[in-house]
Amino acid sequence: MALRLLTRNLRNRISPNLCSASLLHSHATSFGFKEVREEEKSQMVGKVFSNVASNYDLMNDFMSAGLHRLWKDRLVSKLSPFPGMKHLDVAGGTGDVAFRILESINSIRRRALQDPINDDLQEETRIYVCDINQNMLNVGKNRALERGLGEDKSLVWVQGDAEALSFEDNSMDGYTIAFGIRNVTHIEKVLTEAYRVLKRGGRFLSLELSHVEIPVFKELYDLYSFSVIPRLGEVVAGDRESYQYLVESIRRFPPQEKFASMIADAGFQKVEYENLVGGVVAIHSGLKI
Amino acid sequence: MYRTAANRLLHHASLIKISAGSHLRRLPILGTVITSSRFSTTADLQTSPNQTFHPSDSSTSSSSSSTAGDDSRHGSKNPRAEYEEEQARVLQASLRHVIKFGWSEEAMITGAKEVGVSPSIVGSFPRKEAALVEFFMDDCLQRLIHRIDSGEELQQLIPSQRISKLVRVRLEMQAPHISKWPQALSIQAHPMNVPTSFKQRAMLVNEIWHAAGDEASDIDWYVKRTFLGGIYSTTEIYMLTDRSPEFRDTWLFLDDRVKDAFDLKKTIQEATYLAEAVGAGMGSSLQGFVGKVFQR
Repeated sequence: MALRLLTRNLRNRISPNLCSASLLHSHATSFGFKEVREEEKSQMVGKVFSNVASNYDLMNDFMSAGLHRLWKDRLVSKLSPFPGMKHLDVAGGTGDVAFRILESINSIRRRALQDPINDDLQEETRIYVCDINQNMLNVGKNRALERGLGEDKSLVWVQGDAEALSFEDNSMDGYTIAFGIRNVTHIEKVLTEAYRVLKRGGRFLSLELSHVEIPVFKELYDLYSFSVIPRLGEVVAGDRESYQYLVESIRRFPPQEKFASMIADAGFQKVEYENLVGGVVAIHSGLKI
Repeated sequence: MYRTAANRLLHHASLIKISAGSHLRRLPILGTVITSSRFSTTADLQTSPNQTFHPSDSSTSSSSSSTAGDDSRHGSKNPRAEYEEEQARVLQASLRHVIKFGWSEEAMITGAKEVGVSPSIVGSFPRKEAALVEFFMDDCLQRLIHRIDSGEELQQLIPSQRISKLVRVRLEMQAPHISKWPQALSIQAHPMNVPTSFKQRAMLVNEIWHAAGDEASDIDWYVKRTFLGGIYSTTEIYMLTDRSPEFRDTWLFLDDRVKDAFDLKKTIQEATYLAEAVGAGMGSSLQGFVGKVFQR
């Protein structure tokens, strides 16, 4: 017991950057810069997202100055959706990515090129939006109604845990996780599950806030993150704590190369990443063969 | 035609590397250069913001022009190549659908379904339709090399006829797709795709000259490549609108162009001699005149 306390104290003294994902195998995990027990992490994350759900999209716009829309557009264009696709968007509660994919498949330009065979295929398209938090899903369903997609049977809202998906093996053509993988307790489990549900030729794509290495920009970004964002959270959403968690969890998440190696360890091939805005956001992709 | 000629003169550095390696150890290494270029044109993904992670490789594959590094490419299959094989299979299957769908994502999606792989794999090609076109170009080049290596009829022909025959053989490979070939050309002309398509055409021209028995290594080398590039491109474009049976008119056009080029070479040589002779004559009379002026 004393030994465990001792190691925990030592670990807290070591700077957060040295703590790699492998250390998270122990029974403690990170919740921002705090060390918490694993069982608690998902509860605490749950609380964060229940709190932020209603203002989630608004806060995203504020924090990223609207750029998050472009990042998600880039994610979907990298995915290259096609009619008849079975896609799983994990931690996609409010549906941003799912709506974009659906719109890309249904777009008029595509319709112009289609022949009758494809119309049938379009019926088979299924976008599953999976989120562990029911509040986020509810917000998503309401947004779908507003967009007129309420009756569209291509969109399926599912509550579930990314570490233990309820979908079958080799059933999905695509898997995306946008700004979600930072919040999970066991990254490796999520990656393994992703590998399991994807078909051969299927692609894994993750959009996530990541590490900036460019010298001056890094300092500016840190300043912005730690000073501006929690304050903004307090003013706009009335919840400073959650946004403090957000900013800290970004720093604790493995850097681009490390995350890429974790994806490769899960079995994916052709693992690549693309930095957007100098590393503020990174899109990692992998192919299952 | 002017674009390819100008580009070739600008990018001669990479050509020198290819030819240097090829001159020294021709048959075995050229095979490896071509295969590695096929993999590299499909794996030639990154622009500067992107990085690729290779779990088992210490160095990422660079362009095909390094013949020295080919030893690392020999040897056992590493996991990295597995997805490339799969991608190659998808592209091969997609070629059969090009006539119906053109050089497009549709064709590639259909190809992927045929092979039994999820069509999501199409998203993993960096420039999608361009990947298909480039694959086709590499494939044709491989087939051309096989034809060259296996056929002896080339030895009996004079150089100009050899070139004519080789260009014809190569263009005939495009004949099945001729209805959609303008689309392929436009894809190759996109600024993003120009580097790769230029490289492929340069290799093709190089290959044809080697087979035709070229030993030059001075300024003549560039001139020859430029000429052949021009002949090839113009014939290719002529072929697009040729409706004669079995493209007979195209081959006549080709023969004329080759003849012109060889005649032009002789003409240039003769013009050079003439200029030298005139210069020599002028020079001596000019000297005499200047001498008289200064004697005053």
